[in-house]
Amino acid sequence: MTEETTIDWSTGMRLMAGDMFLGLYQPSPETTGYWDGVRRHEFLLKHCLRCDGCHHPRRILCPDCNEAVSAWKPAKGTGKLHSYSEVHRATGVFAKSTPYTVGIVELDEGVPLFARIFGEPGIDVPVEVDFRVLEQGALLPVFVVKTAP
Amino acid sequence: MTTQLSGSCAIVGMGRSISLKSDAERKTPLQLVVDAASQAMREAGITRKQVGALLTGRMPRTYCSLQYNQAVLNELKITPMISTEVTSHGAGALGTIELAVVLLQARVIDYALCVCGEASPLWIEMVEGSANWEADLQFEAPYGATTPALYAQVAQRYMHDYNIRPEQCARVAVENRLWALDHPQAAMRKKGKISVDDVLSSRMVASPLRMLDCAAWFPGGIGSAAVITRADLVPESPSKPSWILGFGQSSTHEWIGERFALRGAGPTENGPNITNLGVGEAARQAYAMSGLRPADVGIVETSAPFTFANLMVLEELGFCGKGEGGDFVEGGGINYDGGLPFNTTGGYLSFGQSGQGLYLLKEVLEQIHGEPEGRPVPGVKVGLVHGHGGPLACHSVMLVGGERP
Ligand SMILES: [Zn+2]
Repeated sequence: MTEETTIDWSTGMRLMAGDMFLGLYQPSPETTGYWDGVRRHEFLLKHCLRCDGCHHPRRILCPDCNEAVSAWKPAKGTGKLHSYSEVHRATGVFAKSTPYTVGIVELDEGVPLFARIFGEPGIDVPVEVDFRVLEQGALLPVFVVKTAP
Repeated sequence: MTTQLSGSCAIVGMGRSISLKSDAERKTPLQLVVDAASQAMREAGITRKQVGALLTGRMPRTYCSLQYNQAVLNELKITPMISTEVTSHGAGALGTIELAVVLLQARVIDYALCVCGEASPLWIEMVEGSANWEADLQFEAPYGATTPALYAQVAQRYMHDYNIRPEQCARVAVENRLWALDHPQAAMRKKGKISVDDVLSSRMVASPLRMLDCAAWFPGGIGSAAVITRADLVPESPSKPSWILGFGQSSTHEWIGERFALRGAGPTENGPNITNLGVGEAARQAYAMSGLRPADVGIVETSAPFTFANLMVLEELGFCGKGEGGDFVEGGGINYDGGLPFNTTGGYLSFGQSGQGLYLLKEVLEQIHGEPEGRPVPGVKVGLVHGHGGPLACHSVMLVGGERP
């Protein structure tokens, strides 16, 4: 059992052309807090301290009040499946996992999040967050379809 | 009512260059666009000195350069006042012409050279190389978000909300294929007809999308170019100019996983959704500029890369109501015989996609002037081209005609 880790996106992905360094792809220090939370199995969203709205972990600016957003707030981790697709054809490390489901979750806070979906998918079915290590070896928030109690 | 931009400018020269996988010598995108540009300039009868603006589509994936437009300029040995890339993904191809019209009508230049091209299938393995191409590396790709799976998010919700059936989507593939059989450049021209059942029994790629719901790769590269000028500079004879009657454009996102976070703007004015594309907004602008209506349009080409997306495009262009695309095609709306001439090259599904380009515009203009490569559509006065930039993020709509307005 290896230690559960996430990918460090704070300095982005180095794009190389042979030995030549071209630049950084998507360096995202603004999402570090999100991935720190994932490592602790905590599900966080960006939180606007001015209008109290929750936003996608990538958000830098609150679209509702134009305030810079850098605070994090624990989210409920529940929502409904806005849409989904069962993937039957994939490449690289994902090829051996087919079929698997990816979807867009509409969180209770109103924020959409793309994720792997476990369980029987359907439009608007309730889902809740879980944390699992996927094919690339990193710990990721995923969503599990809630079954009737 | 038309605006001052409608009919103010014309395309006076076009060029296209093709290189196929089966050719002994594979061409680069730079070779193809330079060839196309020289054809367009020759047809327009202009010299290197007269090019006032060079507007290129986005940098091809197989000719990466920090300033791609400058590499094109360097090769053509032109010295334009304005040189820039116009990129809203693939929708930027028509965007080059739209920006040309604005510059020409402002009278800061007299001639614009617009060039676009790609040749990825000649140089890289497209399935492996494109699997995650449209996914956000941080929040989508780690989940195994293949490109079809991203589009499938919109397909699944659209088909659910509007009760669209897979066999209705399949009709797009069936009719597109018939046109491809007549087109000498179409990827699927020798593959024969397909039926709705063929589509429904083809291999599942990313539900609800099956193999024959998806665009085919064009087996090569295409460079295309156009020279645009103002009405007062268009000679009365003997040229056959094509008039730009209206255009519009709308962009909504970069990553589909976040599209639902857009609200209160453009196609989400009435609430967040992933099923109202920007096509409707772009079309509204183009119709308003030109004073034309859908009923005036005699031919439509779109770069929508999946069957369901073609239905959504037909709806938002106004050929049927929202959610009625399935019934429209099932009722014969785009039938090869008797329907709206739609994707007359075979479309992205059967002509194949080769990145962005102006070759769909070229098809429409050649049909209008009665000189098509494939099956002729007689009597076309006005044509419409829709350019798409993925994933369903950027949309450009252009209306063109063959007669001076
Ligand atoms: Zn706020």
